[in-house]
Amino acid sequence: MKLVDQSSQQYRRLWWFASRGFAAVAIVLLITAILTAPSGLQNLFNGLAIGGVYAIFALGYTLIFSILRIINFAHGAIFTLGAYFTYFLTGAAVGFNGLLANQRLPFELPFPVAMIGGGLLAGLCGILIERVAFRPLRNKGADPLLTLVSSLGVAVAIVNIIQLLVGAEIYSYPRNPFGEMPAALNLGTFGGLTQRPIIIRTIQVIIFAVSMVTVVLLTYFINGTKTGKALRAVAEDATTSSLLGINTNFLILVTFFISGLVGGIAGTLVGLSVNVSGPYFGINFGLKGLAVIVLGGLGDIPGAVVGGLVIGVAEAFVPSEYVAYKEAIAFVVLFLVLLLRPQGLLGRAAVQKV
Amino acid sequence: MSKVSLSKRLTVFALIALLALVPSALLVRAAEEPVVIGVAVAQTSNVALLGQEQVIGAQIAEEFFNARGGVNGRPIRIAFADTGGDEAGAINAFQTLINRENVVGILGPTLSQQAFAADPIADQAGVPVIAPSNTARGIPQIGRFIFRVSAPVAIVAPNAVKQALKMNPEIKRVAVFYAQNDAFSVSETGTFQQTVKDLGLELLDVQTFQTTDTDFTTQITNVLPLEPQLVIISGLAADGGNLVKQLRELGYDGMIVGGNGLNTANIFPVCQELCDGILIAQAYSYQYDSEINNAFREAYKAKQEKEPPQFSAQAFAGIQVFVEALSRLDERKPLKDMDLATLRAELRDEIMSGKYDTPLGPISFVETKKDDGTPAGGEIVQEQFYVAQIKMNPDGKTGRFVFVD
Repeated sequence: MKLVDQSSQQYRRLWWFASRGFAAVAIVLLITAILTAPSGLQNLFNGLAIGGVYAIFALGYTLIFSILRIINFAHGAIFTLGAYFTYFLTGAAVGFNGLLANQRLPFELPFPVAMIGGGLLAGLCGILIERVAFRPLRNKGADPLLTLVSSLGVAVAIVNIIQLLVGAEIYSYPRNPFGEMPAALNLGTFGGLTQRPIIIRTIQVIIFAVSMVTVVLLTYFINGTKTGKALRAVAEDATTSSLLGINTNFLILVTFFISGLVGGIAGTLVGLSVNVSGPYFGINFGLKGLAVIVLGGLGDIPGAVVGGLVIGVAEAFVPSEYVAYKEAIAFVVLFLVLLLRPQGLLGRAAVQKV
Repeated sequence: MSKVSLSKRLTVFALIALLALVPSALLVRAAEEPVVIGVAVAQTSNVALLGQEQVIGAQIAEEFFNARGGVNGRPIRIAFADTGGDEAGAINAFQTLINRENVVGILGPTLSQQAFAADPIADQAGVPVIAPSNTARGIPQIGRFIFRVSAPVAIVAPNAVKQALKMNPEIKRVAVFYAQNDAFSVSETGTFQQTVKDLGLELLDVQTFQTTDTDFTTQITNVLPLEPQLVIISGLAADGGNLVKQLRELGYDGMIVGGNGLNTANIFPVCQELCDGILIAQAYSYQYDSEINNAFREAYKAKQEKEPPQFSAQAFAGIQVFVEALSRLDERKPLKDMDLATLRAELRDEIMSGKYDTPLGPISFVETKKDDGTPAGGEIVQEQFYVAQIKMNPDGKTGRFVFVD
């Protein structure tokens, strides 16, 4: 018995050193690659910009997971809804397809107001989804896995309703909605570190900044406010926390509202960058978003941002001739990280409750 | 006994009389009945935007040629069958038209992909097919009965590059982008890259993307330091439009040539005012001045209150080829004396040998060969091509294709 213990301890120590060694070598190789590649630094910024989009998508996803320990597959649809709501709140007309063809709202809101309005409406849709797809199953004590399917069903329904009402065409926002801004920023050569000046699109800088601010706000909300503490109590044990007088159902609704709000605003920002390409706009980010939150650590809010940025940077360094394998490379990164850290980059290893 | 034999005799007489009457009745009916031409295009699915334009072109042709006496006094009738957007739909539509509607020939289908599936069926049945919009390589080579009035990409696409050089003779350095997961874009970029080499230009870099991509920063920042003066894009509307938008935002100010996937008003909302100036080659111009095109343009505008697009003009031209070939054939060998199979076979040869003055300009067909050297269908010989440039309206959301020369 003792012998086995000793050898398993040795094995664990060896594994600890090996995994740290691997990680260190990988990081050194990565930094060397970035600095020596002909457009390494530019690619790094490109990757951060792409990763910013993944991160902002994944934040709402991970918030619900952190409280309920379930994946809300309808998050992609919420993201899409936010983008459409903003479009209509600016007073723009529906296209020539769908039941609402050529209709428009009787008022026009300035873009920033419409964006917040779109986010709030998306938050309300989040509440609706909780009532329709999650609470009935939770009340009946159904396996949490079942909500995965019901949320997927809600996502498909939302996508189809959008297509029915407003058609499948591409929608776009007015350019320069936040006032006159240059389309791209020149970041210079970083003191001669690169031969060519680094350029980056302004909207991508905005998305990156918003995802950083959101992660700070959400972290503060979860850790620094009374509601956040109550949410963590619910996450720990819903039954006990309700016995302690915490209104569990209300707090879960709050979580869905915030997740929808963040998702809706994110949808609008991403739509500003690449247009709203149709009802499947947000759903297309779903699988990538899942990879991001698993990579960052399931339910870990800063982890969603780190995961998003790592996958974005990995994709940016895929040479153009292998662009078809870009998605595969993102998942290879995920696989390698999970081999070394099954709990994700920032996640904590689950403690076995006895 | 004699009673029985009388009834027998009566029956035989009745049968003979009937047999004599039926063909003459059929002949009388045939003289009055319209000649049926099938149109199998996408009226539903995501290809319907294109298919609808083809339906309008064919309807205008039906009214126009019937008003001019149809096939030597006998009217034509168009039988429509919806193919949807996929191969199975195209096969169904073709079989309905061939076996149930007894058409003399078929105009369709909308997509090259559908043509590769459905055309062999018509070819085996000996039914002439005219493709109104299939531009991929190898369409007429499917079989002897297959023709197209849509000029292949290898002939149309180079015109836009030549036009760019005409507008800016300084252009030497070219970068090419294409969607590597779209069969049409891959074949089109081959033509573009060959054109760049043939014109003695320097091909700086070839960058690939996927039609599902939304962010092209990496590809663009790879290319911009090489300082291209011309960028050529083969992709579809959403990805192509986003690529144009991001190219301009990241500071590219040279000329842009777009492939046929960008040849749609659907890219206007994507790149908005940044779409301005993209050059795209065209097989049809509504400004082309000829009697038939002016008549077609008037008829289209009366119906749709806008200028006719290429898809409608090509569908009209396809029906015109059928009607004129049938008329010539009828003068040589009256159609009513032929059974359907003979008529279809004769019509195939008549289409191949004719010359047609269509809204696309004067066209004719040249017989192609299959890989094994056996004769195949007719490839279009078209004399005139055009290049259009996108001009966006001040609202930044709508625009139009303006023909340049």
